[in-house]
Amino acid sequence: MNQKNNLLVGIVIAVVAVMSFDVGVDPIGFFEGLPNLGIVLKEMTEFEGDHWQTAFWAMLETIEMAFIGTVIGVAIALPLSLLASRNLNSKFVYAPVRALLAAARTFPSILWAILFVIVVGLGPFAGILAITLYTIGFISKLQYESIEAVDNVPVEATSAIGLTKLQLIRYVIIPDSAPHLISQILYMFDYNVRQTSILGIVGAGGIGFYIINYIKFFEYGKAAVFMLVVLATVLVIDWISVKVRDRYIVKSQTGMQIKI
Amino acid sequence: MEKQIFSSSISPLSIVQMNDVFASYDSKNYVLQNIRMSIQRGTNYAIVGQSGSGKSTLLKLINGMMNPSNGTVKVNYQTPNFHEKSFKKFIAKIGYIPQNLGLVKNTTVLENVMIGALPRLGSFKSFFKIFPDKEIADAYNILKMVGLDDKAERKTYMLSGGERRRVAIARALMQKPDLLLADEIVSELDHVTAIEIMDIISDAQKKFELTSIMVHHDMNLALEYANRVAVIKKGEKILEIGVEGDEIVDFQTGNLTQKEILEQYNESEK
Repeated sequence: MNQKNNLLVGIVIAVVAVMSFDVGVDPIGFFEGLPNLGIVLKEMTEFEGDHWQTAFWAMLETIEMAFIGTVIGVAIALPLSLLASRNLNSKFVYAPVRALLAAARTFPSILWAILFVIVVGLGPFAGILAITLYTIGFISKLQYESIEAVDNVPVEATSAIGLTKLQLIRYVIIPDSAPHLISQILYMFDYNVRQTSILGIVGAGGIGFYIINYIKFFEYGKAAVFMLVVLATVLVIDWISVKVRDRYIVKSQTGMQIKI
Repeated sequence: MEKQIFSSSISPLSIVQMNDVFASYDSKNYVLQNIRMSIQRGTNYAIVGQSGSGKSTLLKLINGMMNPSNGTVKVNYQTPNFHEKSFKKFIAKIGYIPQNLGLVKNTTVLENVMIGALPRLGSFKSFFKIFPDKEIADAYNILKMVGLDDKAERKTYMLSGGERRRVAIARALMQKPDLLLADEIVSELDHVTAIEIMDIISDAQKKFELTSIMVHHDMNLALEYANRVAVIKKGEKILEIGVEGDEIVDFQTGNLTQKEILEQYNESEK
């Protein structure tokens, strides 16, 4: 058994080596290039203070975009995830819905952003559409998986007394999967803020527009201001979602673990 | 002569009638074999047996969650079938408490109780949780009966084991049931709580003139609360007794004392 494992590790290492050669991984080049990173970092520390305000408003726009995209995306994803659950629907319903959702999730939001820039033009609206679409694909997968994991006993007990499917969803499925949903929405918002921060690269609004342009013109000091604002925002959002999770989700889940 | 009582003739008073029923989950091994049973309206019927003897399956045959592989089951003179409209209407009035209770843990006690009323309420209004005042008043009355009216707004996962069983009983009573099915509802409780729960059910039975079919593990409990007890062993009914006052009648072997019944039951456990 152990020998087999050793062989397996050896094979993986060999594959990585071959692939690296194929795509041109160059460790020597990395170390030779390191001084360049030093130059960039040094220039980055030379903040240009008058850009803080611009950065703040650009970040606000980014958060607004992410928020709108998350809310609308979740609103659309919820009914779709009910349709995509194998325990609620026949094959003919969930299979096509799942295929559609998989398609929405296949491409990262930046690719959708390029598409929507072509459709609705440059600006935040294209970004919002991209975020919404990706959110739909992503959160409905998380959601239909937690719907399928809902405790089967209440479902059986309530079906046995003749509840309609709609009532079953409203009174059993949604309450039982709600703690997961809240957690997933927080995660999605967190993720969307980071995604929206780079959508500006393709002209779909948000703070990324500034970052990519300043980097292009070697103005690392200015770019650093914007990157720091993104970092600070992501940390704050992370901190808030931990608080929310502790307050609402952990409590109800420890509650659920109580054995009779 | 006593054998006539559970022969295959359909009695006008019977609410559940089983004739030579076989049941199986995998079409190979029978969980139930050759079950004949006639349960009269108003009876407190108990089914006793070891775990794995097929007791729960028996309840599932009655509310149509499972179909017999052989033989006939008649409930309220019809074959249990979820797709049949008239049976669906009747199923709303079969109070069903499965072994794990099947409560929705993340909602309040009141919402869990209201689930019992849902089959008779409109789909649209109930989707937005709009209930007629009378139904809510009924729910509170039932909660008072089971002693939980002060905890109506409590989340269900915060309740104790005994309280959860009260919620499950309240939900079943909210169905305004003709028939109550309960699967080992007190098996995991301590003796005092078990008696409390059984007393609540017993009071409800008298008040609403319920027919009840309860699965038990404990023979003593069954003898105390039921007026008919069937013993199931390895999927077969080996004994059916009637309890009236302190006198116990075995329909298969004639009169027996309670002591003899217990001895016979303990023998079958081995």
